[in-house]
Amino acid sequence: MVAENGKPSLPRILVVDDESAIQRFLKTALDNGEFSVHQASSGHAGLAAAVAVRPDVILLDLGLPDLDGVEVIRRIREWSQVPIIVVSVREREDDKVLALDAGADDYLTKPFGIGELLARVKVALRRSLQQAPEPVFTIADLQVDLPHRRVTVRGEEVQLTPTEYELLRMLATHAGKVLTHSQILKQIWGVGYMEQPHVLRVNISNLRRKIELDASRPRYILTEPGVGYRLRAGE
Amino acid sequence: MSDKSVKSAGFPAQRRPKEPRSAWLNGLSGHLGAIALVATATVLCEQARPYLSPINMVMAYLLAVVLAAVRLGRKPAMLAALLGVLAFDFFFVPPRFSFTIADKEYLITFLALFTVGMVISSLVAKAGERLEALRLRERHTVSLYQLSQSLAAAADTPDVLAAVIKNIEQSLGAELAVFLPAEGRVVAAAASAGLALEKTELEVADWCFHSRRMAGRGTESYSAGEFTYVPLKALADTLGVLGIRLQAAEDPGSPQTRRLLDAFATQTAMALERVRLFREAQEAHMLKARQNLERALLNSISHDLRTPLAAITGALSAVLDEGDKLRPSSRAELLETAREEAARLNRFVGNLLDMTRLEAGALRLKLEPCDVQDLVGCALAAVEKRLGDREVQVRLAPALPLVPLDLVLMIQVVVNLLDNALKYAPAEGRLEIACYCGDGWLCIEVADSGPGVPEPELARIFDKFYRTPVPEGVGGTGLGLSICKGIVEAHGGSIRAENRSGGGLKIIVKVPQGAPLQEVDHGC
Repeated sequence: MVAENGKPSLPRILVVDDESAIQRFLKTALDNGEFSVHQASSGHAGLAAAVAVRPDVILLDLGLPDLDGVEVIRRIREWSQVPIIVVSVREREDDKVLALDAGADDYLTKPFGIGELLARVKVALRRSLQQAPEPVFTIADLQVDLPHRRVTVRGEEVQLTPTEYELLRMLATHAGKVLTHSQILKQIWGVGYMEQPHVLRVNISNLRRKIELDASRPRYILTEPGVGYRLRAGE
Repeated sequence: MSDKSVKSAGFPAQRRPKEPRSAWLNGLSGHLGAIALVATATVLCEQARPYLSPINMVMAYLLAVVLAAVRLGRKPAMLAALLGVLAFDFFFVPPRFSFTIADKEYLITFLALFTVGMVISSLVAKAGERLEALRLRERHTVSLYQLSQSLAAAADTPDVLAAVIKNIEQSLGAELAVFLPAEGRVVAAAASAGLALEKTELEVADWCFHSRRMAGRGTESYSAGEFTYVPLKALADTLGVLGIRLQAAEDPGSPQTRRLLDAFATQTAMALERVRLFREAQEAHMLKARQNLERALLNSISHDLRTPLAAITGALSAVLDEGDKLRPSSRAELLETAREEAARLNRFVGNLLDMTRLEAGALRLKLEPCDVQDLVGCALAAVEKRLGDREVQVRLAPALPLVPLDLVLMIQVVVNLLDNALKYAPAEGRLEIACYCGDGWLCIEVADSGPGVPEPELARIFDKFYRTPVPEGVGGTGLGLSICKGIVEAHGGSIRAENRSGGGLKIIVKVPQGAPLQEVDHGC
């Protein structure tokens, strides 16, 4: 397996973390023949590696010794749209929102299972490697036909208000990615609605009622408490 | 006998030089009165002259002396006696209108009149003084009694100070301040309303505090000021200083007043000492309770941290060392154990962090209009893996409004309640969640079908580190429900538990519904 490491055909993952135990664990778990794993143990080293390696996904710790992770995200976003998945022990929602608003694609709180990490990495890679978004988004029984603005659940067409459709379209085109409240409010309603979270709550609630089987246990639109929403990525 | 005359009779010699004008005026009016009395006696005697012998006129003058002694005091009475003798001699002893005496026998009359006048004035004045002293003592006793009464009821230092100020103000009509030490110097801890203290006053108070001797007016030290300072001496040390500005008429140097001030100071010092000892005893008690709690906390924490670690270490070492000999199923089971225990450890650390945040007061609510259905959904998603085969019934009232909540924390509450229910409910048992609004409150109920909790223990389950005996292997941290309580109370709500009639425990959370926002139609 190690022999395949570094082949340009494999997706490249850059892990920026100063904890050697985490580095060792991620290297072992990810270096399974599907990815080539590159490592950096500080913010500046990470920035340099991002330029040198041109990774397809970056796993970034926030508590770096030299540079705060959020600052690393900002600097990378100045020139690259490479997916960044934050892996951090910081579990406060404010920290998550800060990182996501700075441009991170996803946020995983330590400790996490490798299955969860791989799922997120795959979602990020799919977004990173595919150029144009699929015209039809499908997940389980839900289908969003973007060119025709048609939404079907279990084969039946669902009537959505224009706002609900825009909301679903935004979530679908970013499927698997957490969208923060302010990101959604800004895009759908405009900057003037940034402080009006209840319009978002009400529309999400209505949307769920129309597309979810049991709105109390949603399967498609997942709430990231205190952060935002995420549409489950299709398999 | 009016108070005023008694006072002028009472302390003529001890008048303060500070107010010479009023003393001088008082004296002048007394002496004028004496002159008037003698003049009146003379006029009366003149009227009665045809019917009386001169000897009997002496009685009129004696009457004038007695009146002067009773009404005007010692000195005017003496003046009356002297004037009486002279007037009697001048007007009535032949030859009239001259001080010469024809009959030398009148000298005895003069002497008798003068002596009797002197004796009477002295006796009457003494009686007045004694009466005044008696009244003063009674007044002092009453004020001391009242002070001790209010001090007995005082529970803390501010109470004591307020009682002292109020009582001494009332009983002496004085203004006062109580000085207590702070960082080596005394500061005015309490004072009569509107009393402005100059810096020099503080210096005298400070001197009094450190020397433990009286100072200020009426004493040997710093006697120029208006205040008199008395140290508040306790058994071992000085607790503070009592500073009093007495009414001008009160003499702080007199033994009675000094005794009274001493008594006030002693009472105050005793009360302060009592409050201090009580507080120290209480603190010692609380310290002990806290130490006990901390010991329990440490025991609990070390147990809850070590148990999962032991399981993880054991499972991993078994796989590493004996991996080749293990059946694949045992191997998988060991690894699964390690993962579950790690998750448990993670939850416990999370709980500890939450508790620490709650207790440090670092918990700031981010209230946002929340969809109750979303709240329930997120909580259920968090415990999904642990639900196993249990059925969860969710009942949401139709058209629940958005409720201002800190969504993240309230999810934590519901997750902890579900965790608790999972811990006690049988593996195939049913959990029920119900949400409804009423009377301005949002109610969230989480019920299980477990054994419930003995009635007397119901209120205690929200205490930190309280645990009911649980089946082996489902030990909790005893923190979950107390975290719930902390979060719910931070929302201005309440949490309580009750046993369900059909068995099982129901926990009811109530939080304010807040101002009405837009309704959400859940189409239930």
